[in-house]
Amino acid sequence: MSKNKTFGQKAQDLFRNNTVPIMFIIICGVCIYLSGFSWGYLLNQVVTRMGRNIFLILSLLIPIMAGMGLNFGMTLGAMAGEIALILVADWQIWGIPGVVLAMLLSIPFSVLLGLMCGKLMNMARGREMITGYVLNFFMTGFYQFVVLYMMGSVIPIKHSSIRLPRGFGVRTTTDLSNMRQCLDNQWALTIGGVKIPLLTFAIIGLACLFIVWFRKTKLGQDMRAVGQDMEVARDAGIKVERTRIISIIISTVFAGFGMIIYCQNLGNFPTYTAHANIGMFCIAALLVGGASVEKATIGNVFLGVILFHTMFIVAPKAGQNLTASPQIGEYFRVFVSYGVITLALIMYEAKKRRTKSGAGALLAQAQKAQREGGETA
Amino acid sequence: MNIRKLLIRLAVVVLCVALGATMMVIGRGHTIYFDNKKLEYNGQTYEPFHKVQVFVKGESAGKLQPRDRGSAIWLGQNFHMDLLITDEDGQEKFLGVDLKLPYSIDGIIINLPALLGGAGQDAWMDEFIPAPEPVTDDDPNLDIGDVFGGGTETFE
Repeated sequence: MSKNKTFGQKAQDLFRNNTVPIMFIIICGVCIYLSGFSWGYLLNQVVTRMGRNIFLILSLLIPIMAGMGLNFGMTLGAMAGEIALILVADWQIWGIPGVVLAMLLSIPFSVLLGLMCGKLMNMARGREMITGYVLNFFMTGFYQFVVLYMMGSVIPIKHSSIRLPRGFGVRTTTDLSNMRQCLDNQWALTIGGVKIPLLTFAIIGLACLFIVWFRKTKLGQDMRAVGQDMEVARDAGIKVERTRIISIIISTVFAGFGMIIYCQNLGNFPTYTAHANIGMFCIAALLVGGASVEKATIGNVFLGVILFHTMFIVAPKAGQNLTASPQIGEYFRVFVSYGVITLALIMYEAKKRRTKSGAGALLAQAQKAQREGGETA
Repeated sequence: MNIRKLLIRLAVVVLCVALGATMMVIGRGHTIYFDNKKLEYNGQTYEPFHKVQVFVKGESAGKLQPRDRGSAIWLGQNFHMDLLITDEDGQEKFLGVDLKLPYSIDGIIINLPALLGGAGQDAWMDEFIPAPEPVTDDDPNLDIGDVFGGGTETFE
């Protein structure tokens, strides 16, 4: 059928299916021109940010596969990663062993939080995204209680660079200078002034391979079946609730690992607020890459990170050059981040309605034809 | 759950715990301070070197005159450093030193004259204790406020 389409129709379809990435490519192109940054600088920044963010964004793919939409609950995994990092920093485990230990330590926290999140999302079926989003606020309060009052008093924290001078609670910034960029600097390759963190990319590559492999497993197929139609999957003997919980647990564990990679790249993190917007920015980057609430691929992750972070880098400078105020560029990128999420959600709903009304029209046509056939007989 | 599945899960848990324990040992970081200072211990005096240069992992950790202090960071407990000692006549001596660091101490001060003078560990090793900060009872300003439009006021 698509062979019969004219070039104009094909172009229209292409634009309709990739509105957000096309829009972003245009915005980035204009901003790159206005910013006046050299390609070497831009590439260096984008590669650094790819290493920092991709793992976090990959954590969003599996819940989408299971039909649970964009997992705003990934923030819980980020909190688990932060708690693990605080403990590892207090124990003074540095470098790559510190990162590995933090990852191992984050797993039980992530699993517990993911289990809770998954169970709640099963209770709020069909409203997973808003549930995950509100759950973040609730868990942020609990996280702050644990880190501010329980660490140092109930949970032993002894190192003075981590603990507040009053004797309990953790400082507002957790210093990770002894593990800063330990993954990124290992096997780093510099080509034409651009530093390529090979080990970090190898870890990201492994995560991508895991996702590709996981899709082919029995559990992965079950998740896809659940994502397509829960009732049909249930009739086929798939334990729908369990499958959905596992998808959220995997996502939360991945988010914990991602947060550890993110923080090791920065070399410190704001203890009480680092996770606050991480879900929002990861989701925005994924949507910018052309993903939707019901479909996302590894390609969307890579494209999204490149486009979203290119805009992050160039927008303030473009704003400064255009209006003599970098703040304008700052406002612009915040506006675009949230705007793109809104646009993607609207487009998803519109598409769903269009498909539904199309199916309704087809059904009505079929019924009419049947009726006419009956009358003739 | 069958036995095979249970055994595999147990093995994974044991592997993770073993990996974690290994990381705790090999990744334990220490800050090491090298003192080239005069030390009197048990009636014996250890005089500082005219000049000593400390190399850790092939990188210079300080060119120390008498009363100077250098520092380096080290992962794990098996510490190795190379010393280039220069005496008053300009004669140079290069030697490697291996030490076992205590796991529980973060900052370790090593008095080089006492170490090379053959004194006991009590003499040449000391713990670095940072100056205490003034204690405050205040909560840190988290700048979280009230998301429903209020400020950071307290409720009574």
